[in-house]
Amino acid sequence: MGRKSKSDSRGDMLQGTLDMLVLKTLLPAPAHGHTIAKVIEKTSDEVLQVEHGSLYPALYRLEDQGLIAAFWGTSENNRKAKYYRITPAGRKKLIQERGRWEELVQAVMRVLGPAAE
Amino acid sequence: MRWRRFWNRKQRDNELGFELELHLAEEIDDNLAAGMTAEQARLAALRKLGNRTHVREDVYNMNTIGWLETFGRDARYALRGFRKSPGFTSVALLSLMLGIGATTAIFSVIYGVVIDPYPYARPHEIWAPLVQNIKTNRPNSFSAHRLSEFLEFRKLTVFADAMGTSPDSMLLTGNRSPENLSTILVTGNGFQFMGVEPVLGRVIQPSDIRPGGEAEPVAVLSYRAWQRLFDGDERALGQELVLNDQPHTVIGVMPPRFGWWTGDGVWLPLPEDVRNDRTVFPIFRLKEGISKEVAEERLHALTLRLAEQNPDNFPKEGFTTTLRNYMDITVASGTMQTSLQLLFCAVGFLLLIACANVANLQLARSTARTREIAVRLSIGAGRRRLLRQLLTESVLLSLLGGALGVLFAVGATRAIVALMPDFYVPNEARITVNIYVLLFSLIVSVLTGILFGLAPALQSSRPDLTHALKEATQGAGIGGGRRTRNALVIVEVALSMILLVGAGLTVRSFIAILAVDTGFHPERVLMVSLPLPPQRYPTLEQRNLFAQQVLDSVRNLPGVEAATVGNGGMPFGGPRSAYAIEGQPDSEERRIIVGLAGADYLQAIGIPLRLGRAITAHEVARAEPVALINEAAARLWPEGEQPLGKRLRLDVLTNHPPNWLSPEANSPYVTVVGVIGDTKNDGLRNEPLPAAVAPYTLLAPAERTLALRTRTEPTSMLNAVRERVQAIDPNQPVSRPITVEEVLGFQTVQPRFTMALFSFFGLMGLILAVAGVYSVLSYQVTQRTHEIGVRMALGARRGDVEGLMLRLGSKLIFAGLLIGIGACLALGRFFESQLFGVPATDPLSIASVALLLMVVALLSAYLPARRAARVDPLVALRHE
Repeated sequence: MGRKSKSDSRGDMLQGTLDMLVLKTLLPAPAHGHTIAKVIEKTSDEVLQVEHGSLYPALYRLEDQGLIAAFWGTSENNRKAKYYRITPAGRKKLIQERGRWEELVQAVMRVLGPAAE
Repeated sequence: MRWRRFWNRKQRDNELGFELELHLAEEIDDNLAAGMTAEQARLAALRKLGNRTHVREDVYNMNTIGWLETFGRDARYALRGFRKSPGFTSVALLSLMLGIGATTAIFSVIYGVVIDPYPYARPHEIWAPLVQNIKTNRPNSFSAHRLSEFLEFRKLTVFADAMGTSPDSMLLTGNRSPENLSTILVTGNGFQFMGVEPVLGRVIQPSDIRPGGEAEPVAVLSYRAWQRLFDGDERALGQELVLNDQPHTVIGVMPPRFGWWTGDGVWLPLPEDVRNDRTVFPIFRLKEGISKEVAEERLHALTLRLAEQNPDNFPKEGFTTTLRNYMDITVASGTMQTSLQLLFCAVGFLLLIACANVANLQLARSTARTREIAVRLSIGAGRRRLLRQLLTESVLLSLLGGALGVLFAVGATRAIVALMPDFYVPNEARITVNIYVLLFSLIVSVLTGILFGLAPALQSSRPDLTHALKEATQGAGIGGGRRTRNALVIVEVALSMILLVGAGLTVRSFIAILAVDTGFHPERVLMVSLPLPPQRYPTLEQRNLFAQQVLDSVRNLPGVEAATVGNGGMPFGGPRSAYAIEGQPDSEERRIIVGLAGADYLQAIGIPLRLGRAITAHEVARAEPVALINEAAARLWPEGEQPLGKRLRLDVLTNHPPNWLSPEANSPYVTVVGVIGDTKNDGLRNEPLPAAVAPYTLLAPAERTLALRTRTEPTSMLNAVRERVQAIDPNQPVSRPITVEEVLGFQTVQPRFTMALFSFFGLMGLILAVAGVYSVLSYQVTQRTHEIGVRMALGARRGDVEGLMLRLGSKLIFAGLLIGIGACLALGRFFESQLFGVPATDPLSIASVALLLMVVALLSAYLPARRAARVDPLVALRHE
């Protein structure tokens, strides 16, 4: 995720993308912020770097939209932590977003055509 | 954003802080696990995660309304600033209080009198017909028609509803002391047309008119009549009122704010019987989709037809028929409305002066704050953000001033209402500081804040940063700021010049009105009206006999010098009649005032006889056709011709309202026997109109006036007069006793109202302008202390320094005065209608006001100048 300077300078697509990634990460099990960031970074082979500046506003936004829900729990290192789990609305949203994303990627790929030799 | 989250956004922020700490800790743990040292692990984590405060701000702002949050912060900051400079704040608040308060007070009067004067349903949809003479454009006895005509109007399909009103007065007797009560007859649908609910009982309904046209004997009480006659007792319903010997049942009571044609009388159903073809004042509501023009066309066509059948009721030269909106025919539509408009302009000027004053103070203050602002700009505050903050400050200031102003307006409105001439205001008008007025002052406050705040804010939000940061320590001002401030002072002086000239002119008019020679001796004259109800006095002989008996009886009262009986408002008016001079061509449109009086008329009122002789008691007793004319009437004869002994035709003697009585074989011709002095019979402001006085025995209206010249205080005679009158007829009320001096007093109420308010606002303007001159010069002295110190160190004497500052002040004052005088001359014509006996460009008023303003303003400039001269150069130079 690109470095953000101001909340309004992020494009809608990127913002939506992070939301989608967060929802996907929470699909198997609830997690707290650090785990979410870690999982995204790991599974993307460190290509995607998640920063505070994007992650936490995204988490609060998703919570506001009712796509995820928060509860207090204990972290792996025995710290009190705020955990997030995906809600049924979140699951539905993820399916939608995933569909949209695939369409988008395919469309972009069609435009780009086969890779040059 | 959700409101729940908005309210616990503090708690959420704490949670987020905690979460971020955890994230950091976990990151550090990971780094340690990856083999970094503790320090490396911490730094790497911090680097990776970036600015945590930014994140918190972002999330925090997700849950708030940005501008509200900033507004709250700016407001708190501004309040702190106000507390820190109490001098600035109190002067600014005082200026705003006066400006906004005065504007609010006048607006509340305008709202009550002009915008919402009536309690009726949809009053702006009520129309009254107006028949105007096509040549003179004069209304034909203003929108009065005959009942028979009204019944025709009502059939027109362009009207959704039509109601008629026929004002009358009846003698109230029964088991109470006799009195003359206003009885307003309205058509059966009248109250539905008005759409006002009674507070008690029911209103008059169409069913109160029987199929034959007779009216049920029912009465609806006005609130005042209910209070007065029944002490506000609910058992008044069903009780009887004996009106002209006929019992009427009370069916309802109207609310206090309902005064259709009467404030303290009763309403009765109007009999729809054309055998008594009463005068009816019709009003209409148009059918939906019908335009005013279409309705006028149809109405005019009908009126033309009616004029053919009954040409006497309409102007013979032809006429136009139009509809006038009822909102335009309020009692306050004449002089009072102009007066209110001018007063509104005056308070507008006052508000502008207050704005200029506060803008000035703001400018001075923001110059002193240049450094603070430069610092804020240099650490990254946006210019828009800064502007918003400065404007928030001004608006907050003006809102506080507005709140004080509303308090001021509550008191001022009461004072204005107390000063207001009753009969210039519709009796249903309610003048209070109501919600609309408050809304108005809120809007005015905000606009005021923006008005006086914008210039200073713009100025100070674009200082040359390096310059400001460097210079501020030396206390130098911004060059442009000084020019703006000087311009503001000039504007203030000019505006207050206009206000004061207005005040001066109204004072001069008032004095001129008090000094008017009325042409008669108004002192110690008591007037009592004697209603003669037709049921009790059906014949001319009975009416004349009663008048004669009363005259004979009171004339011999000790303390009475002279007594006479006459009509209406002698010596001020009387019926206006068409007339003709024998041997001269007829004049269709000219009118002469006809007075009807007894033999002692001249002594009782104190009018000098110029030529010929007075009417004798013998002529009055025998109803001889003789007359006195005033000098204005004598001038109607051609130059060199002597009116004495000539004959004059007074149409009213034979062609009069149906309830007036005249001798069977009356001729409209009277012989002029004397010429009397002119009296102010058309208001004090106007030239006397031609008038003739004939014996009262020639014509008997349904109400006469008894006038007594007494030797002592006239009102002390009232009881004796009442006894004598009731000895002749015990059922005769002696109502509305009034002295001629009181009547004259009514004539000065309106000019006094105008004068009092203009003087008050003028004075306020003067005070504000003086405060403005003083504050600007004081400020300049403070700003230039350094320069003054240098000048003095180089050898300037005190006088030189004083002169320097005074020259600066007087330049501003003179510029303001010149602009003010120019504006006065240009605006004068708008003021003419309020003036009497003095031109709007009266040099004396303008010159004296200019002198006053100059002296006061120079005085206010002198104080800072003297302070400047006292500067000790050593202190001044070290001051930096």
